[in-house]
Amino acid sequence: MKLKNSYDFYLILATTIVLFAICLISIYGMFYFKFAQIHQMAPAVKILYMNRMNTIIAPFVVCLILLLGICVPKRLLPTSWLNRVTLLLLAGAILTWLGWGGRASLFFILAASFILQAAVFFLAVSGSKNLHFHKKGYWVRLGSSLIHMGLILFVLDLLLYEKKTLHLSLFWITTGTSVLGMIFSFYAESVVGLISGKQNVPEENM
Amino acid sequence: MQIELQSLIPAAIFSNSGNVLLAVILLLSIVVALSGVVNLYSRKPAWQKITTGMIIAISLLFIGGFLWISWFHWQIYRNLPLELPENLMGWVNRQLDNMNRSSSYGMPLYDPANPPRYKIPLWIENEKYYFWFMCYAIMALIVHLRLQNHRFRAFLHLFLALQVAILYFWVNPFIEPLPKFFNEIGPWYAAEQSVMHKAGYFMRLYPKMIFYYNAEYMWFHPPLLFISYGSITITFITSVFMLFKRDLLLEKIGYQYAKLGFFMLTLGMLLGYPWALKAWGPNWWWDPKICSSLIMWAVFSTYLHTRLYANKKSMWYFTSILGIICFFAMIFTFLTSFYFPGEHTFQ
Repeated sequence: MKLKNSYDFYLILATTIVLFAICLISIYGMFYFKFAQIHQMAPAVKILYMNRMNTIIAPFVVCLILLLGICVPKRLLPTSWLNRVTLLLLAGAILTWLGWGGRASLFFILAASFILQAAVFFLAVSGSKNLHFHKKGYWVRLGSSLIHMGLILFVLDLLLYEKKTLHLSLFWITTGTSVLGMIFSFYAESVVGLISGKQNVPEENM
Repeated sequence: MQIELQSLIPAAIFSNSGNVLLAVILLLSIVVALSGVVNLYSRKPAWQKITTGMIIAISLLFIGGFLWISWFHWQIYRNLPLELPENLMGWVNRQLDNMNRSSSYGMPLYDPANPPRYKIPLWIENEKYYFWFMCYAIMALIVHLRLQNHRFRAFLHLFLALQVAILYFWVNPFIEPLPKFFNEIGPWYAAEQSVMHKAGYFMRLYPKMIFYYNAEYMWFHPPLLFISYGSITITFITSVFMLFKRDLLLEKIGYQYAKLGFFMLTLGMLLGYPWALKAWGPNWWWDPKICSSLIMWAVFSTYLHTRLYANKKSMWYFTSILGIICFFAMIFTFLTSFYFPGEHTFQ
């Protein structure tokens, strides 16, 4: 049990580090944009800048999705299997990167994470006790699944920006998923109160 | 404001009444700030009932002022249509038709029975600060009524007074209402214009009306973000206090407002995306405003994750520091529009 708590804790620390790296890249991008006067440049130069920034941030986005991919199966599998799933995802990501490039690698990670998250979601909907969520409330589990699914779909959607109709349709699905997820996760007690018609819902064990 | 416009909308009445209202809010805020200073250094609470009444009055006056701004915008909608002379309608509609054929997002053709009108949202130019600080005032009132800690209340009040002072002395929306908007449309209402001047002005004003002033996303994207900013300010104040005292009720309130802030921020950012595609086209990613928004979202996201372990002593302080960094990330994001170029700039 202590090891599981440590695993969660270190996952959150790792997520913090990756998000911090993304922040630093964003700050670099802002100042580069300002001093290079990208806004005044020809469209080709703007696209070059955007592609360069995408290349810089891609490994960190892969790390973030990988961490999400680890975070998701920990709710389904015992700790002993977690390392195997982690290595499997990492190996898959590296192989696809080497064979088909960064974009394919991202697609692989996103697809794998989405499948896992979809499995978690259906388990959450059915109220499975196999999940190892930090908070055990039904709606919190559901909300957390939806929020993480929304993030995966959002990154996937960005990769599909050239297919306009699909891009926008998927975007609205992502928005709906994320909004529902936040409502269920952040306001679980109110949701339960609304559904059960009770005014005072007892605090669930956290 | 041009003389022709002054005869069309009651700007003077709006401006004079608004200034009086804001002056009253400022006076009340000064008294509340004095009470705040006293309570910060006092061991026992002082003047709590009086300040409670004043905070309620400030909130109600803010809401009244917001309704007053709504009335002014209604006057703009009613009295400032973009009416074309008959001899220009055919030509303009041909131009719009040609533009619509080569664009993913078209503009409606001109209809003389229903000329285009400005549906200006209630948070543009300096009015956005009014809305933002009004949100904070209402949240501060709610938190004031929930928490009895006089020093925490003092901090809330001092922040409120600071915002009102900024509003009154620096970004007053009533002194010169919507100056950029009226400067833009002023030439349209100038007397004795040639037909081609009129046509040129219309082709400049109409797209901006459709994709900016009347954009449906304008009614969601900014206010959601300003509500988020108000929530982040509350979370900031609770985070500062958490560094000095392990008060679970304080932490709970900070977390409640952090959840609200994150929800509004995420939804507001998401609703900016399709609007950006419509107004700017596809190539705006990595714009400085987008970068700074991502930073704020990432910091906020990290705060919510680390808060799960706030019962550990080190994480309690780490979470508090993140809550403080969140606030400065918000200020940084807001100022980005003033100091960085790009699509979202106010420069």
